[in-house]
Amino acid sequence: MLFNRYRRGLFITAFLAAPVTLYLVYVISPYIQAFYMAMTDWRGVSATPAFIGLENFVRLLGDEIFWKAVTHNAGLLVLLPLFTIVIALFFAFLLNVGGGGRAVGGIRGSKFYRVVFFFPQVLAVAVVAVLFQQVFRPDGSGMLNAPLMALGAKPIGFLSDPNVAFWSVLGVLVWQAVGFYVVLFSAGLASIPKDMFEAAQIDGAGRLSLFFRITLPLLWDTVQVAWVYLGIIALDVFAIVWVMTDQHGGPDWSTTVMAAEIYRNAFQYFRFGYASALGVVMFLFTVGFAILSLRLTRRERIEY
Amino acid sequence: MPNTPRITRRELLRSAALVPMAGALAACATPAAKPSASSAAPVATSAANPFGVSDSKPLEVWIFDGGFGQDYAKNIHQPLFKSKYPKVEIKHNATKEITKVLQPRFAGGNPPDVIDNSGANAMDFGALAQDGQLQDLTPLLDAPSWDDPGTKVRDTIDQAVIDIGTYDGTFSVLGYVNYIFGIWYSQKAFKDNGWVPPKTWDEFLKLNETIKKSGKMAPFTYAGKFPQYLYEVLLTMAAKIGGNEVLVNIDNLEDGAWKSEAMKTSATAWAEIGAKYLMEGTAGLDHVQTQTAQNKYKVAMLPSGSWLENEQKTTTPPDFEYGMFPVPDFTSSDKMPYGTLHSQPSENFIVPAKGANPQGGMEYLRAMLSKKASGDFSEMVKTVSTVKGAGEGRQLSPGAASATTAYTAAGANIVYYRWQTWYAQLKDEAIAATGQLMTGGLTPDKYLERLQKKADEIKNDSSIKKYKR
Amino acid sequence: MTTTSWTVANSRKLARQESRRRLGPMAILSHVALLLWTLLTVVPILWTFLASVKSEDEIFGDAWSLPASLHWDNFARAWDQAHIGQYMLNSVIVVAFSVSGTMLVGSMAAYVLARYPFRGNRAIYLLFVSGLAFPVFMALSPLFFVVQNMGNLPLIGPLIGLNTHAGLVLVYIAYSMPFTVFFLAAFFRTLPTAVAEAAMVDGASHTRVFFQIMLPMARPGLVSITIFNILGQWNQYQLPLVLLQERDKWVLTQGIADISTAAGYDQDWSALFAALTLAILPMLVVYTVFQRQIQSGLTAGALK
Repeated sequence: MLFNRYRRGLFITAFLAAPVTLYLVYVISPYIQAFYMAMTDWRGVSATPAFIGLENFVRLLGDEIFWKAVTHNAGLLVLLPLFTIVIALFFAFLLNVGGGGRAVGGIRGSKFYRVVFFFPQVLAVAVVAVLFQQVFRPDGSGMLNAPLMALGAKPIGFLSDPNVAFWSVLGVLVWQAVGFYVVLFSAGLASIPKDMFEAAQIDGAGRLSLFFRITLPLLWDTVQVAWVYLGIIALDVFAIVWVMTDQHGGPDWSTTVMAAEIYRNAFQYFRFGYASALGVVMFLFTVGFAILSLRLTRRERIEY
Repeated sequence: MPNTPRITRRELLRSAALVPMAGALAACATPAAKPSASSAAPVATSAANPFGVSDSKPLEVWIFDGGFGQDYAKNIHQPLFKSKYPKVEIKHNATKEITKVLQPRFAGGNPPDVIDNSGANAMDFGALAQDGQLQDLTPLLDAPSWDDPGTKVRDTIDQAVIDIGTYDGTFSVLGYVNYIFGIWYSQKAFKDNGWVPPKTWDEFLKLNETIKKSGKMAPFTYAGKFPQYLYEVLLTMAAKIGGNEVLVNIDNLEDGAWKSEAMKTSATAWAEIGAKYLMEGTAGLDHVQTQTAQNKYKVAMLPSGSWLENEQKTTTPPDFEYGMFPVPDFTSSDKMPYGTLHSQPSENFIVPAKGANPQGGMEYLRAMLSKKASGDFSEMVKTVSTVKGAGEGRQLSPGAASATTAYTAAGANIVYYRWQTWYAQLKDEAIAATGQLMTGGLTPDKYLERLQKKADEIKNDSSIKKYKR
Repeated sequence: MTTTSWTVANSRKLARQESRRRLGPMAILSHVALLLWTLLTVVPILWTFLASVKSEDEIFGDAWSLPASLHWDNFARAWDQAHIGQYMLNSVIVVAFSVSGTMLVGSMAAYVLARYPFRGNRAIYLLFVSGLAFPVFMALSPLFFVVQNMGNLPLIGPLIGLNTHAGLVLVYIAYSMPFTVFFLAAFFRTLPTAVAEAAMVDGASHTRVFFQIMLPMARPGLVSITIFNILGQWNQYQLPLVLLQERDKWVLTQGIADISTAAGYDQDWSALFAALTLAILPMLVVYTVFQRQIQSGLTAGALK
């Protein structure tokens, strides 16, 4: 018995040693250091940063550009899940329930659509960013502006007009995300028994009521999960903004996000201490979002 | 990982709420910087080898691979260095992203030995200087020149190089090229259409109008994605109107410096160009796209610097003939005369103090400053070196010739500014706001107010090191 | 619908016509909506492919004109001068090792944490899982120093320091832990215990039970997490940006972003499009071949 316990302990230790060590060294220790760095004036090149307490945090309260970035993240936090989920639900419904197939089947070719819609998901974000930089070119050489100009319209400054650029960023994010959620919701729908739809249809339910009375309530759990994933993506946005937009978050700061400001302050202004303080704030927002979603989803639970 | 499709569930959320506790456990941990490992036995110095270059230490060189490319370093500078130190191994590297690639090397205490710290993504000299990362280049100035043991290096280069390369009283940045800024055009296009480079602002406006009416091409453009190309002429014109102190005050973060009368006049004037005469789509195009449009005769004029001709060499038609004219007189009562130019030593070379081979680094710079190296360089990349007389007897291309003529004509009427290298945040704000000024998103007053506000913020921020000139 | 199957049985056709009569105009609208999104997804990608065989002049000309002749030399330049081949190989090497490592180490940790109650189990589990909410940006600069210091270790140092693929692999593994452990632990918990217990009674060691019984049983979960990790690590841009500075070590995302910057100086937009094509095409091919496994794998993981 004792020998068995010993063997068990040895096994646990052996199996956890590598993952825990790697994780402590490469993940936990840098995060802990980041908390400390946030309280220094470190500029990234000197050996001895000075401890300055909460000065960086006081400073960031007055940093207009950072707060602009925060509002952009907040906008994305609401809009990215909203658009993505609405579009994805719509297509998932068409593909699985409301199609023109027999009774309650998917639409013809639903498999083809599902495969194609997923394409953007397999492309690296950096690649998508460079691709759309070209798609959005401001003149006749741009994929979108060429037809507009052919119709006699003025070209749109997708990335150069500060009133439009944010929407272009949002559009690309939605473009890339939708496919995954179509597949996710489709899987959710597939697990709903077919006879439920058929029964409702026999009762004369139209597509709309089919959607709102059966599909949505049964998928509600999945939708919530989707909202949380997309929310975290919205808080973490970086590569699209940094690679695609003019002036890395411009023009005129109209697309900048928290991650971009952290990167800019660290690797362009060499204010590593300050950037770490921004990182801590971003971290607090992420945790806040997590707690909030937890609370909200829990309440939903109770109402059921 | 930010790009991973994030998957999470309630449990995750709950655990995330616990994380601050982990943070509370945070122990002190500071980034440890290693002392540099450059303590090999020193090599005796001599007149021929003034810094004591050691044959056994390799020399790592990083070149900004931008408008001038990197061939000049490989084919001119390095062979010359090698001819004297055949045993020294040169490790040549080039990048367009100096900061991204080299900043971590500094942070890690093992920077390379020579860096051409240039381009849009250059490292912040202020931060490097503040941390003692830059080798004091005074010994280089006092060393005998490569060509003549009787002449000091100091006497072979323009004084502006020493002024501008001095940080905290220490000469530590060597500008190798004289950037000469102005408004560039095609001499052929102007000749064919009977257009004449304007000398006054009124003439300039009229010319814009004429070109616009002709329907042959758009009158004016600038690299809309990089509005620093535009504030460059805006500031030069302000200096012309109000005198050099306009720029000095801005550099010194004086109260209200941005809102001076001269700045207001200049900003208003350029905003009018932005409203009336810009090529369509300018705001979304970068320097190459606008410059290529000019090569295709789609636009007549754009502000740029003396690197332009080399940068565009592959798309320029053979008979294009680049020309450059200085910022026109605004009124006859401008403080500075016609022909005043913005010129600034650039293509900045540094020797990291904590590199493995600073002696080799300085010697490399000394080789670069030789008559042969600088002359071959000027010819190869069609530009004006900061080495005195480097272009003498050389075959200059039309654009370089035009810029050199303007430079000679300007004489002492040269202006420059340094705030954009000193205060990177102010530069980014100026870039953002200038774009808005030109597209009508900001009135000239609001524009200057914004920049003044940013300048004041920087002035009041104790964490940012201040400079004076 | 493009994939019309002319071979469908007559009866099915009749049934479909029947249902189409009932849902007629809606079905057409559905198809229009689906086709629209298909175009939205596919056209930017196809447009990039088209531009990759254009000449420089044509790229600056009308966006929708067809190339006068096919400029395959763009690909040669993207491959040779822009080293896309090298970067892609680097990406493949790094991702192959890091995903294998992630799955091995991650499944070991997840298994122990899911099936072996011991003191501290919960704490270790939460430590791993909390990493899901950390913004990587916060850790970026300290991480750089951690990796650099690893490079100073005796013996193995030079292998895992900065600018080494092995170093990046370790970092990838560590940063994939939260996600991997979280899902695999959930997965191991759902597996039946009877088989493992029987094997233990027969005298099999803990290690053997894990490798020979539990891992095969967990296959569906392993597959889906593997796919997620491949996508995530293949797409990673931020970590290699900081940790791999030597050009010949770069991974594909760095290469693409660099070509986009470089295109501004070298005026070689056609090579940029060719490089994009080279980055996109293999991913699409691999995805299309494995799309069934990928889609079912992903949703299996996500819906657990």
